[in-house]
Amino acid sequence: MAEICCEEAMSPPATATAAVAAAVSASAAAAVSSAIDRRRRRMEMRRIRIASDLELQAGEDGRPGKRQRLARTASGAPRPDEDSASERPSCGRTEEFPRYGVTAVCGRRREMEDAVSIRPDFLPASGKFHFYGVFDGHGCSHVATTCQDRMHEIVAEEHNKGASGEVAPWRDVMEKSFARMDGEVGNRASTRSDDEPACPCEQQTPSRRDHAGSTAVVAVVSPTQVVVANAGDSRAVISRAGVPVALSVDHKPDRPDELERIEAAGGRVIYWDGARVLGVLAMSRAIGDGYLKPYVTSEPEVTVTERTDDDECLILASDGLWDVVTNEMACEVVRACFHNNGPPAPAARPSGVPSSAEAAETENGGAASVKGISKAESSDKACSDAAMLLTKLALARRSADNVSVVVVDLRRGL
Amino acid sequence: MPCIPASSPGIPHQHQHQHHRALAGVGMAVGCAAEAAVAAAGVAGTRCGAHDGEVPMEVARHHEHAEPGSGRCCSAVVQHVAAPAAAVWSVVRRFDQPQAYKRFVRSCALLAGDGGVGTLREVRVVSGLPAASSRERLEILDDESHVLSFRVVGGEHRLKNYLSVTTVHPSPSAPTAATVVVESYVVDVPPGNTPEDTRVFVDTIVKCNLQSLAKTAEKLAAGARAAGS
Repeated sequence: MAEICCEEAMSPPATATAAVAAAVSASAAAAVSSAIDRRRRRMEMRRIRIASDLELQAGEDGRPGKRQRLARTASGAPRPDEDSASERPSCGRTEEFPRYGVTAVCGRRREMEDAVSIRPDFLPASGKFHFYGVFDGHGCSHVATTCQDRMHEIVAEEHNKGASGEVAPWRDVMEKSFARMDGEVGNRASTRSDDEPACPCEQQTPSRRDHAGSTAVVAVVSPTQVVVANAGDSRAVISRAGVPVALSVDHKPDRPDELERIEAAGGRVIYWDGARVLGVLAMSRAIGDGYLKPYVTSEPEVTVTERTDDDECLILASDGLWDVVTNEMACEVVRACFHNNGPPAPAARPSGVPSSAEAAETENGGAASVKGISKAESSDKACSDAAMLLTKLALARRSADNVSVVVVDLRRGL
Repeated sequence: MPCIPASSPGIPHQHQHQHHRALAGVGMAVGCAAEAAVAAAGVAGTRCGAHDGEVPMEVARHHEHAEPGSGRCCSAVVQHVAAPAAAVWSVVRRFDQPQAYKRFVRSCALLAGDGGVGTLREVRVVSGLPAASSRERLEILDDESHVLSFRVVGGEHRLKNYLSVTTVHPSPSAPTAATVVVESYVVDVPPGNTPEDTRVFVDTIVKCNLQSLAKTAEKLAAGARAAGS
């Protein structure tokens, strides 16, 4: 039922009015919510921690007083802008403050091994460059959390290594950054300082570290470009005039060019519950996984996409979403949320500011699933709604994995 | 220090089956699926000679098994460790603590027994692998000969009727400072896979575990030497 209703949402007429779009969004949301309620009774979900607006969650449940096990709320929104947006339609102040929404959910897995990193204005002295990263760990969470903490710093360092006044090519920046990140992860066992807490696998024996790894899909959004670097099977997609455009291609071991590369290196791809490198790992590129090198490499595929006025949103997510939701469906859900919310409010919503206590919350006794959000940020409702709805859709479709979703508003002239 | 598995000259390969490495560049394991071996040999239950060139003579008798037959396969992985045999064995023998050296173990619970023969353990596996759990019974624990054997009797994985033998013995070239560990196994070939697929998969896991064992034992021995000096 949920799938049928949501499929309808995929194809509203191009000339649909805002009211019709709102109706479609409401129908889709109601259908998904209903399906979730029914399936929730059947699922044995031991943990669902959904990072979302408390307000949104309470409203949807219709039980404001109910205690929610919420992990994180994280969104960005434009700060009050005294200038009229219409005076600078293509590059106004709205570009300076990213609008985004994020969820990170344990879902049906026992462990949360995904990590999300959001770093607005992360390039010192450059400004207007925003970093978004989704890292889906496997074997243990420490590789993903290390990427969460360090990847943006490494990218910034590599970017600034270019000669003064000269722009370093993004492809080089990303390839070097991923290689450095992979090296740091591999060396971490020998370099960890005494005051740094050990992760679960290291508490048993330090030599275990190279059996863990993580995907890494990273996006750098500037006023003119979206740069994506990807290793693994998380994914980045933009919605352009309602049409999804994939900015990354999943690194599955049986992708023809990946299969060829692995075999040329002396490896094998074996079908063992799906295509796996040496029968073990279901992705062909990742940060970490030292024991599977050189077959599993950390070299990213990099795309540099010029932004256009038709761009609506950027979605970064782990395969917990993409395994059960198509690019088309995801873009349609976001479009519906944007239509439903109308243009973003020029001022921040005070009620959306996460409390200090909430900002410090962690899941499963481990690191926070989402990092990089300062207390000064407040919710962008449309993006938060979209991230939440996509996550609920994935859970309703019985995704068997952690789900992490980042939605970035790319619309201009707002 | 990375340990490179050694190959030693041994008795010539006994049967007609083509001798080949499971995977060039990945381990030194050898094995074969002797689909036709039983018929060719004409005698059921004949001894498997697949590992004769690889398993050291000192422990070969512990790794002997019948010809696997159709639908089965076998292999052996050899690991050299720069630590005394006693240190290595002290880690290997803890059937109740596989996480001390095995990778991919998220947790281990004893279902029966206390570490001796007959102990039954339930191992939960970390994420990312095509397995969730493995239920294993300790078949042999020989502290004099340094032999451990376990059988997989259940769990969520595709390796049916898995039986492994691990031996630990002093390295002939440096008996007090180095050790040779051999792990051999016999297992069913899962439906849809080939014997070679199965050996590649299992050897990858076993090889990782033995490399981790080497690091763990070497650290243990280094710690003991430091304490002693």
